Amino acid sequence: MQHTLRQIFRSGKFVVGFSIFAAILLIVTIYPLLVRESPLTIIGQGTFFPPGIYVSVYDSLTSPRYTLQLDDAAAKRLASRLSDDDRLAMKEWLVGAGLLESEIDTTDTARLLGLWEATYDPAKRIPGLTNAKRNYYVRLDASLDGLLATEGLSLATKDPQTGALIETGQVAQTDYANVSQVANLRVLALGTDNFGRDVLTELVTATGVSLQIGIVAGLVATLIGLTLGLLAGYVGGLVDDVITFVTNLFIVIPSFVLLILISFSIGQEQRGAFTIAVVIGLTGWVWTARAVRAQVISLRNRDHVNLSKLSGHSIFRIIVADILPYIASYVVMALILQISSAILAEAGLSILGLGPRTTDVPTLGQMMNWAFIYQAYILGKWWAYLPALAAIALVSFSMNLMNTGLDQVFNPALRE
Amino acid sequence: MRKVVFSLVGVTMVLSLVLSACAPAATPQVVVQTQVVKETQIVKETEIVEVMATPVPVEDSESLPRNETLYFNGQQWGPVVGWNPYSNSNNNALTIAQQDNSRVTMFETPYLYNMLDGQMYPLLADGPFTWNDARTELTFKLKPAAKWSDGTPVTAEDVAYTWATHIKYNTPTGAANKDYVEDIQAVDAQTVVIKAKLDADGKAVNPLLVAAYVSTNYVIQKAWTQTLEDRSGGDATKLLADPAEDVVYSGPYHKFFTDDTKVVLIRDDNYWGQDASMWGKLPAPKYLAHTIFKDNAAGSLALAKGEVDVSQQFNSNIQLLWLNYGLPISTYLPEAPYGIGASLPTAFYNLNSPGLDQVAVRKAIAIAVDYPTIIANAMTNQSATFEQAPRSLMNPTPGEQALYDREAVKDLQWVGNDIEGAKQLLDEAGIVDTDGDGWREYNGQKLSYVATCPNGWSDWQAAIEVVAAAGKKIGIEITTNYPEWSVYQTVVTKSDAPLPTEGYDIFMMWSDGAGPTQPWGRIRKLLSSEFIGMASNWNGNWGQYSNPAVDELIKSIPTETDPAKLKATYTELVKAYLTDVPSFTLMYRPQSFHAVNETVWTNFPHGEDGTNPPVPPLDLTDGWSIAGLYNLTLVNP
Repeated sequence: MQHTLRQIFRSGKFVVGFSIFAAILLIVTIYPLLVRESPLTIIGQGTFFPPGIYVSVYDSLTSPRYTLQLDDAAAKRLASRLSDDDRLAMKEWLVGAGLLESEIDTTDTARLLGLWEATYDPAKRIPGLTNAKRNYYVRLDASLDGLLATEGLSLATKDPQTGALIETGQVAQTDYANVSQVANLRVLALGTDNFGRDVLTELVTATGVSLQIGIVAGLVATLIGLTLGLLAGYVGGLVDDVITFVTNLFIVIPSFVLLILISFSIGQEQRGAFTIAVVIGLTGWVWTARAVRAQVISLRNRDHVNLSKLSGHSIFRIIVADILPYIASYVVMALILQISSAILAEAGLSILGLGPRTTDVPTLGQMMNWAFIYQAYILGKWWAYLPALAAIALVSFSMNLMNTGLDQVFNPALRE
Repeated sequence: MRKVVFSLVGVTMVLSLVLSACAPAATPQVVVQTQVVKETQIVKETEIVEVMATPVPVEDSESLPRNETLYFNGQQWGPVVGWNPYSNSNNNALTIAQQDNSRVTMFETPYLYNMLDGQMYPLLADGPFTWNDARTELTFKLKPAAKWSDGTPVTAEDVAYTWATHIKYNTPTGAANKDYVEDIQAVDAQTVVIKAKLDADGKAVNPLLVAAYVSTNYVIQKAWTQTLEDRSGGDATKLLADPAEDVVYSGPYHKFFTDDTKVVLIRDDNYWGQDASMWGKLPAPKYLAHTIFKDNAAGSLALAKGEVDVSQQFNSNIQLLWLNYGLPISTYLPEAPYGIGASLPTAFYNLNSPGLDQVAVRKAIAIAVDYPTIIANAMTNQSATFEQAPRSLMNPTPGEQALYDREAVKDLQWVGNDIEGAKQLLDEAGIVDTDGDGWREYNGQKLSYVATCPNGWSDWQAAIEVVAAAGKKIGIEITTNYPEWSVYQTVVTKSDAPLPTEGYDIFMMWSDGAGPTQPWGRIRKLLSSEFIGMASNWNGNWGQYSNPAVDELIKSIPTETDPAKLKATYTELVKAYLTDVPSFTLMYRPQSFHAVNETVWTNFPHGEDGTNPPVPPLDLTDGWSIAGLYNLTLVNP
């Protein structure tokens, strides 16, 4: 055993695959200990907040202030509010309104703004101006307010009795807050999804759930496949015929179609993560059964098996003690592949809206399904679906790598 | 023989190649044509001759001139079944929809309803309709200019015969109106009288629904109807199932081409409406085309790419298309809610569920729900907020908002997120957590409910999730569940028995939008007990709320003409609704979503477009919104 393990860990592919898998497992176990929030809590009012550090604006006003004299601050502020495209668009409008093109210098911000302020009228009809473009100019005009201001902003509170505003403070353009001193900030490393949930927390939980589904489904499929394969291969005769018949039946029916039909018919009420796992397992055993049967048939007439038979051992004992150890390596490899394909199957089902119930637990497939429904990929909200995709790819990549590594060790034809 | 067939095939192939080479970029068409010919060759040679005789059509979307075609999405989901205006199973979304805002591209109604000002504008009719003094007979005249596509005039006899046919064959329209309309008669060639059904006192049962008939239902040609009757041998099923490819119509567009991938209508350049008594010109686009998309996402992508001009579907976060991508896309209003809310998607309580028979529990859940999150997340802000349009039975249109006294019900209107208020309400009602498990009990039973809506109805599902979250905050366990629509609808619409006490405690359904009978129709469908007992209730009040006082109020509205009394009645109804809370509105939803891409066409209806009467954002096909088709211009003429 120790020797085998040492051999396995000498395979580079296996080690890489195993490390990735172990890292995923580690994150899935440790992260929930650090972040105690339920992954399905809706924290964001609005959809698809981009990844980043969210600092409370309110609290930053009351946190200690520092004055920093930075040369490029004003330029940066200006650039963030008035892009080059905006300047060109302003010029376009002004020309459309009858100004001479040569009069307008888009690089001279103060002059451009002056011209704009003097000329712009949202009601003015300019030939060829679409409504979308008109809306754009209204928005642009509103955003230009106080663009070149050098004074700060006033803070005011409302008098509860009179409703009048009372100035309580000033914010200068050179005021800075230290992020570590702001009372409330939240790191959303992967932003939020369409429900306003923290994608990272959801992703970690979902990966865990998907792994659980994979393992349950893999175990179920392997157990069924192994039992039927062993029985068919060793007992032979009528039992073999019947099992082979059933197996062949299942082989010709595409298992994913079967999976869709079963998931649909059990209805959403019963579709917990565990049920889905069992259903996936029940439809995935076929190839394991076939392969095990073939291996057992070739083992059945070996000398040591015949010897065991002559000694009067029971069928059960012969199968467990004399046959199983010879195919154990194959079964382990099959199990790994089953787990990986079960995770993919769950994702496939969930994308069709036939996965586990939404409110119970997040799964990777569910996350992608909702991102698709809310058109995250059209709107460029990559954080809503890409991490889930990457997680599925990583899990199944690591498993396949482990499998190939094991194959190299156990398959005499591949052994170097 | 065989040689002849082959040479015929050869000639056809060459012919189609040549013809399609003439048409701009119709290469895919060639393949289709040759395939057809090959198939026929094996079966029958006579058909080959037919193929040759008809010119090769150039209906491929690539060959539709982009500058003359207006593309839609969001209406047609699947191939067209037929063109029969008597039937409502044509799956023909571009031409047939008889509803509050009827679709008038191919068939026309006497009047067009405008949801923005609540007025009816004459289309086939000439001038406004009039009631007699007793409000039992409604009279209108037809425009002398109104013509059918075969050139014959539209007459009062056509209107009368359409009604007679609806009744004779018990069509969906007939069944829906026969309790309110006694008869429709032609006085002379131009004058139509609609006689209302009378109650025991000799008063019209429901004048509102009689008046709504003229903007809801198409006028269909008598001569063609008779042809259809002959063809179907008087069999109602056959009549309704007839695909009616030969139908005679009065509208500006008709069938050009349909298959599994698209529907194309072409303008009738002889359309009567170019007469000065109606539009005075033809609608701008020569073709109306609707590609059949797989799902909303495919439709959104096409809108973003400029392959769709008018979009009638939910495009999530639509503002990003212009804010982040700078696309020439706009909605009716430039800022949130982007459109005009018309209907009230509503969560109904199952009044039989233990605890939900208590007003305190119902109200507590309703005031605890975080509506701003529903509107921001589920609707991506494409709904007015409850600050903008306070909760009542009215939709956010100014016309309906003016119909009730807001001050009188101010104290009853809630904006949500009132966790403390909800807790207090429950505590005062004695509904508290007695066994310390964190959940409240009523009569010793833990308050535990299932909130539900159909699976795959994404914005509703997202809303239901938020409702469930509110329960947790006030000590009421609410879990969610999403059955398939087929199961959901059978359970929810079965009003002749109490709803099951499991699985359907809080469930979502729709309400009426904007129309000539609104808000009365909507209120009736939300509150009236007349639907309890129906085996298949597609009207409303699915929670089976029953309040005789409310029923009386609802019944009094259609015959009431005094605006002050109407306002008082509506205010009473709103008061009762917000006090009893048999259901609660979760968001406002537009009559139809309406977003446009101005790559090719411009001058679409928008908030301040200066049109008078205002053109509503209803996809340029429904009710008065069709007026928008006459205002369109090309971006690059």
